Amino acid sequence: MSDDNNNINLTIDGQQVSVPRGTTVLEAARSIGIEIPTFCWHPKLKPAGACRICYVEIEKARTLMVSCATEVGPDMVVQTASEKVLQGRKAVLEFILMNHPLDCPTCDKGGECDLQNLTFKHGVDDSRFDFKKYRHIRDKNSTFDDLRIGPEIIRNQNRCILCYKCVRANKDIFGEQDLGAYQRGNITEINTPPGEQVDSLYSGNLVEICPVGALTNTDWRYKIRVWNTQTVDSVCSYCADGCNLTLWKNKQKVYRATSRRNDNIDEGWICDVGRYGYQVPMTEDRLTTPLIKKGDAQVPATWEEALGLISEKFKKIKDERGGVCIGGLISPNLDSLSLHTFSKFFRKILNSNNVDFRAGYKMLPEKSDDLYSKLTSLPFKIADIEKSDLIFVLDSDLTKEHPIVNLRVRKAITQKNASLFALNPIATQTGGLATDEMVYNIGALHALLNGLCVSLIDQNLTQYENASDLKNRLSPNTIEKASNISGIEVARINSLAKVIAEAKNISLIAGELLTSAINREELAGAIINLCLLAGIFDKGQVGVLSQAANSKGAEKLAVMPHLSERSILKLKQIWDNYPDNDGLALDQMIRSSIKEELDSMFIIGSNLMLEYPDGAVVKEGLEKLDFLVVADICETETTQLADVVLPLSTWVEYESSFVNLEGVEQKFNAAIKPIGFSLPAYQIINKISQGLKTPLFEMIDELIPEIKTLLQPDENQNSFETCAIEYIEEKQNPEFEIPLLVSNELHHFGYYTEKSNSLSSFCSEAFLEISPGLAEKLDVKEGSIVRVESEIGKINLPVKISEYIDNDVVRAYRNFSASPVNILQMRKRNVDRVKLTVVEGT
Amino acid sequence: MEKKILTKYIDDPNQVNIDTYLSHGGYKALEKALKEMKPPEVIEEVKKSGVRGRGGAGFPAGVKWGFIPKDNPKPRYLVCNGDESEPGTCKDRVLMESDPHGVVEGMAISSYAIGSHLAFIYIRGEFAYPARMMEKAVEEAYEKGYLGKNILGTGYDLDMIVHTGGGAYICGEESSQLNSIEGERGMSRMRPPFPAVAGLYACPTIVNNVETLAAVPFIINNGGDWYASMGTEKSNGTKLFSLSGHVKNPGNYELELGTPLSVLINDLGGGMLDGHKLKAIIPGGSSTPMLLPDQIDVKLDYESLAEAGSMLGSGAVIVIDERTCMIWVAERLIHFYRHESCGKCTPCRDGTGWLEQLISRIERGEGKPGDIEKIESLCGNIMGRTVCPLGDAAVMPIESSIKLFRDEWEYHIQNKKCMVKSEFAFK
Repeated sequence: MSDDNNNINLTIDGQQVSVPRGTTVLEAARSIGIEIPTFCWHPKLKPAGACRICYVEIEKARTLMVSCATEVGPDMVVQTASEKVLQGRKAVLEFILMNHPLDCPTCDKGGECDLQNLTFKHGVDDSRFDFKKYRHIRDKNSTFDDLRIGPEIIRNQNRCILCYKCVRANKDIFGEQDLGAYQRGNITEINTPPGEQVDSLYSGNLVEICPVGALTNTDWRYKIRVWNTQTVDSVCSYCADGCNLTLWKNKQKVYRATSRRNDNIDEGWICDVGRYGYQVPMTEDRLTTPLIKKGDAQVPATWEEALGLISEKFKKIKDERGGVCIGGLISPNLDSLSLHTFSKFFRKILNSNNVDFRAGYKMLPEKSDDLYSKLTSLPFKIADIEKSDLIFVLDSDLTKEHPIVNLRVRKAITQKNASLFALNPIATQTGGLATDEMVYNIGALHALLNGLCVSLIDQNLTQYENASDLKNRLSPNTIEKASNISGIEVARINSLAKVIAEAKNISLIAGELLTSAINREELAGAIINLCLLAGIFDKGQVGVLSQAANSKGAEKLAVMPHLSERSILKLKQIWDNYPDNDGLALDQMIRSSIKEELDSMFIIGSNLMLEYPDGAVVKEGLEKLDFLVVADICETETTQLADVVLPLSTWVEYESSFVNLEGVEQKFNAAIKPIGFSLPAYQIINKISQGLKTPLFEMIDELIPEIKTLLQPDENQNSFETCAIEYIEEKQNPEFEIPLLVSNELHHFGYYTEKSNSLSSFCSEAFLEISPGLAEKLDVKEGSIVRVESEIGKINLPVKISEYIDNDVVRAYRNFSASPVNILQMRKRNVDRVKLTVVEGT
Repeated sequence: MEKKILTKYIDDPNQVNIDTYLSHGGYKALEKALKEMKPPEVIEEVKKSGVRGRGGAGFPAGVKWGFIPKDNPKPRYLVCNGDESEPGTCKDRVLMESDPHGVVEGMAISSYAIGSHLAFIYIRGEFAYPARMMEKAVEEAYEKGYLGKNILGTGYDLDMIVHTGGGAYICGEESSQLNSIEGERGMSRMRPPFPAVAGLYACPTIVNNVETLAAVPFIINNGGDWYASMGTEKSNGTKLFSLSGHVKNPGNYELELGTPLSVLINDLGGGMLDGHKLKAIIPGGSSTPMLLPDQIDVKLDYESLAEAGSMLGSGAVIVIDERTCMIWVAERLIHFYRHESCGKCTPCRDGTGWLEQLISRIERGEGKPGDIEKIESLCGNIMGRTVCPLGDAAVMPIESSIKLFRDEWEYHIQNKKCMVKSEFAFK
């Protein structure tokens, strides 16, 4: 009866259904709306068949079958609600409830508990079990036998029904080994190995997938009953992956964030930054009113006073010196409406191109970086990573930068047989899955990429017609040279070239070290060469991943001073006028201010003092401004310098959108009203514009068509040409020889997340990660304090010895206000270098 | 009477040494297989012999070997299951500690047949001495060139690893055993896929019992037809039986399949202990249903025992005399299975615990009316509803005990003491 090889016809509860071969009976039933209960089944995990609640009766089968693990067969006849099935389900519930404490009144899962719901549904209201319930006892003084198994996770073994979903997800999806089953039989318990804790970036998911109240997190425990909350669809505001979230709120308070599964992006997993990041808007120290600097103090003011002052000052500067004497910086963590309004305000009202969003970057280019923008505008889909047989990661610690892309890469490797090659200046967690992770000498990526190109040509692995021409232009580059500079053996470069050439579908992923490098334009050129030679543009995708929740949006909405011809054309189309002056990038703004050419800056949501390299220069630049306006959600090092501070609303307080790294615009909704007198950025900008007698909009909806136009995907611009740019070695000061990498800490993203108690419970202070070898050389141990000194600054940091560092690179973590590592970074240097002196604790 | 084939030299203390083993014609079968036969011919011979899995399931070994997909490019593995843990069973232990080279040779031939170049022997943790003997044998076989690279100059390579378990009954179940070898917790896997398709490290894997593999050299030496000529029509060859309980001469006996149970108990085992009467027999290891004294003439083969309502299982015959309280027996057994349940699936994990509590309360004299029915109902909720056969194994002897000795169970509840009168009884 099967109509073709790929589809199977079967009957479920009398209904005919045709499903693809390999579908389970459970999925087939659900596809026609027949609900079969489950505990241990999860759409993204391999079936375990552990709980046995999903029994069905299959004709000709001797016993009840578990539908979650039984594949459909031709002409199968399935009963999902026969007497035998219902009896089987009841029996399983009876077994599970035997020793279950039934402490529902005090259990945080109450109201959303699978066990509660199924027990209710099947009417099991009595038990034949007449013994004393078994109790896992941890602590005689505790009523509920709580055990903390991670910074955020509490385990109550008595409630556990041993579905093993947490253990399976932790191992199979997240690749972690910090949770397992101990003991045996009916005293089995879920626990960590001795001395360890569940502290991975994905730990919160384990709580979310627990079907009962066995795993709860401190975030949600004992705060509210779930039926007293309402849910709001939202989107994560941290990294550029764009995970979909559900916010759970009551009145003016958000209580938790959970995943709102989107198979194109997150597949139902979110990282802990996204999960606990909602705590930032909920923090007590939000700015609630505008502040105006009077003497040395910033004193609370009304919006009228603050806006009056700003309008007056901006008007004066505009009229006397021109709008170009005002600079604008906005955070790429802000929504599309705000980013667009900001750009429009500067370009249309102030007639200036001085807008930027790139506070986390180094020395920014003074012209448009065409090659780089061309690469970043290529289509890239997270879900398509699964289709690749080769994943090639350049300069990215994916776990830290893009936790969800990282999971997709893991999935491609562990479930779809893809192989991974990585080029990084430091070993990474993702690299642990790589066939070869080449840890190159920092700064040598350009030379290495050139070497790879030469290798492709020399080994005759390219079909690109202009290969010999490129070879001539790359001629000073040889594989040997690349090998010498990068420290990667010739054989490994050659074999990588071969792998790239032979792969059928490649996902090339480049990360933060590349996107924020000074020489990104050169690197982009080298990547284009490589893609042309290996045919990657035709057999896969290139993702130069943007960093923050709306970085991609900021690029597309042109919140940058130097734009490509295409972008300018687009802006002219929607606005009919476009400032003909050359805008200033952030770096130029700071320098102009020091030279007293820039009078004022308007900064929204960016803590430049903690983010931008060379803190001393930033400080000087900001202090020299005549008039500094900073809008932010809390007081920061930057707001402290401002003449006017404006209270900014967060993404949970209004409705707008983010554009994720794929370029997909995702709408998020308001969960609560703005806190205090804070306002969304777009409203603040419009009110200032109103003060200048030129409102940007009456209703915010007016801007939506403009945004839609700008966000439209670029039509295929696959007109790449090779471009040989020679590798130039950076001079270094021999006194400072240890390369320093600066990145986000695993559980922190941006300078706000310090405000989240949950995230701070994973890590609350900056540290310096060094290799065991270097630790031995310096004679320091974990926790010793070292002075990290660069040519321009010094800071004391505690040491953490990391298994991921096996060379002499050290890594420091930005965005901890107590340890601003940006004071060490040099704006014009590609590779920062430091020296270390032991302060205490050898 | 006894038909000593696998156990022919079992009493020779020097049989563990490779020289003695060779002098008894050892490794001739390996040489013959490697030099004169192609792998499919070996499989064909084993199929012809009709040798069935001696671990308990009784599945024909040659047929199982044929399940390996021909076009799978992954490496193949052979795992010899020496995790003998079924209460009452002690036959593999004897083979491993007294004739370890027989096991090595059988494994080597079988590996060759299925195209494996890496074989594991998984020995239960408590078997320290047999594991030492196996390690020694493997070492000697490497030294003499029966294992390693280019065995006997034929170009066939085989490595063998002796792997000891951590002491869990569940690891005798093949999929749990594979998890254990991989370093995972010993828990059964869902099937399909079967190990022959995706077993150890997700590669095609054949898991066979020690006794099954030990029979292979004899099949190769003498031919499948010779092996098939022994035993009954469907139960071919010989089988080791581990006789225990209230008999005069407990021990391992190798019998042709189809030999009557009475021969084992009365002739070889010397009958019941003096002055005592036979009450029940568990014929195939503790997980098989019991037989009554009037069934003593049943033939020991797969079909006859199935007809009698029980199973041949692992061949462990446990003899019980009239002094024994059947509730005590049930309590003892369920205690074992509760303790060994891996904890994966609900019915076995929680059901065995509940059963133990119920049975032990009856045994203590605290049983309540309705307990028997409750036990029967729980057994029904476990039987056939678990991931692996451990659940079935736990309830089969209990179900049969209640069926055969219901009056005794009822007496125990009503009178709060044992029906039997002996020094063992609960008074």
